[in-house]
Amino acid sequence: MQNKEESGASSEFDDWANFGDDDIMQQQSDIRAEEAHKVPFVADKEPLSALASEYQSGSPILLEKIKILGEQYAAIRRTRGDGNCFFRSFMFSYLEHILESQDKAEVDRIKAKVEECRKTLQSLGYADFTFEDFFALFLEQLESVLQEHESSISHDELIIRSRDQSVSDYVVMFFRFVTSGEIRKRSEFFEPFILGLTNATVEQFCKSSVEPMGEESDHVHITALSDALGVPIRVVYLDRSSCDSGGASINHHDFIPASGDVPNATSVSTETETISPFITLLYRPGHYDILYPK
Amino acid sequence: MIDFGRVQKELQECSKDIEASGIKINPVSDNLVHLTGTIPGPIGTPYEGGTFHIDITLPDGYPFEPPKMHFVTKVWHPNISSQSGAICLDILKDQWSPALTLKTALLSVQALLSAPEPDDPQDAVVAQQYLRDYQTFVGTARYWTETFAKASSLGVEEKVQKLVEMGFPDSLVKSTLEAVGGDENMALEKLLSS
Repeated sequence: MQNKEESGASSEFDDWANFGDDDIMQQQSDIRAEEAHKVPFVADKEPLSALASEYQSGSPILLEKIKILGEQYAAIRRTRGDGNCFFRSFMFSYLEHILESQDKAEVDRIKAKVEECRKTLQSLGYADFTFEDFFALFLEQLESVLQEHESSISHDELIIRSRDQSVSDYVVMFFRFVTSGEIRKRSEFFEPFILGLTNATVEQFCKSSVEPMGEESDHVHITALSDALGVPIRVVYLDRSSCDSGGASINHHDFIPASGDVPNATSVSTETETISPFITLLYRPGHYDILYPK
Repeated sequence: MIDFGRVQKELQECSKDIEASGIKINPVSDNLVHLTGTIPGPIGTPYEGGTFHIDITLPDGYPFEPPKMHFVTKVWHPNISSQSGAICLDILKDQWSPALTLKTALLSVQALLSAPEPDDPQDAVVAQQYLRDYQTFVGTARYWTETFAKASSLGVEEKVQKLVEMGFPDSLVKSTLEAVGGDENMALEKLLSS
């Protein structure tokens, strides 16, 4: 199959004076296939020591930081570095949390949020058929992790589904729609952050950096997704930067939804400390993985 | 693996506002893998009055992968190959998103006709002409539109006669029909509004 396509593309290339779209697309899918062999969309849980062995002969600052990380976190679950890693990490982490907690109130809460997102997209002029399949597939996953139907799934099945492109990509696209809708809806709020990243308008940014698959996520995407779905996210940063005091320390940032209704936070009065995100991601420049606290 | 349910919806949606957009998409094969799109040349450009046909093939991964499009109608434009019809447009490559549709893609192609990007050319010869000798570029593009993108003269006599019978002068009917690419209804609209 692959060979056929290639020979088709190359004969076309002979006919054409210019490098064709087909050749470029073929190249891209080859690169994706190569990447796929290394890590599945969502890998198995590994002890944090696996992270340290990755940097065995690397920077001492990083090794020091991983040691500190080990005091608080027990395990890591890697995701494929295909530009969708933030969304795939979020997807797995969220669904796994629901599967383990069976928090029905949270499911009801996020479903209401999803409906709001649907209305947002409609009011922004998106045709229903462009996003409805992606919404339906996410809601289906949400239902199936609650153990009250015949269609309920186990943890193993959740992993299988998360590695299945026809599920995983649809859910990623669902999140991309939600993120884009939130940014456009509150474009005045997001504009200065977007101007800090690129010199694109909010509209251009959504079209070129949010909606296409494989476009990497930044704090703008995380803020928007967290706000739109009302789910707090903790991002732990692991990089080479060191403190002035000389000792290594690990920074994290909690993305707390802008609106008041946050899951598992009965008293939102004193803000930050009362909310502890159940989704923790490890950020290394250019990539997100899932972290598991002790 | 193509999401045919979605393609069906796209075609229905597009046929709803042909009047407003002028964009048409029709299946070539029964299985909706091969389609053909039609866009009117934008007004105020050398492509005005032309009707451009675009061949569309849907890859297996549609809508996650972009539709493959190329011009069937020959066109003189910096970002479209004058030989193969290949289109240089970001949304047909890495900037494609499932949030886009065949119609929005064709609208982008139409917008490309209005706003060439000679610094990111598909056809280097055309792009050079565009940058160095803009007037010649406009002339060539218009000539190609006249020659390749206008309806054949078949049946023109009939259309002329019909419109003349409505009370419009013969020469005006002929020139108007020519200006709109032989489309009878568009000609009538133009005649009525002038």
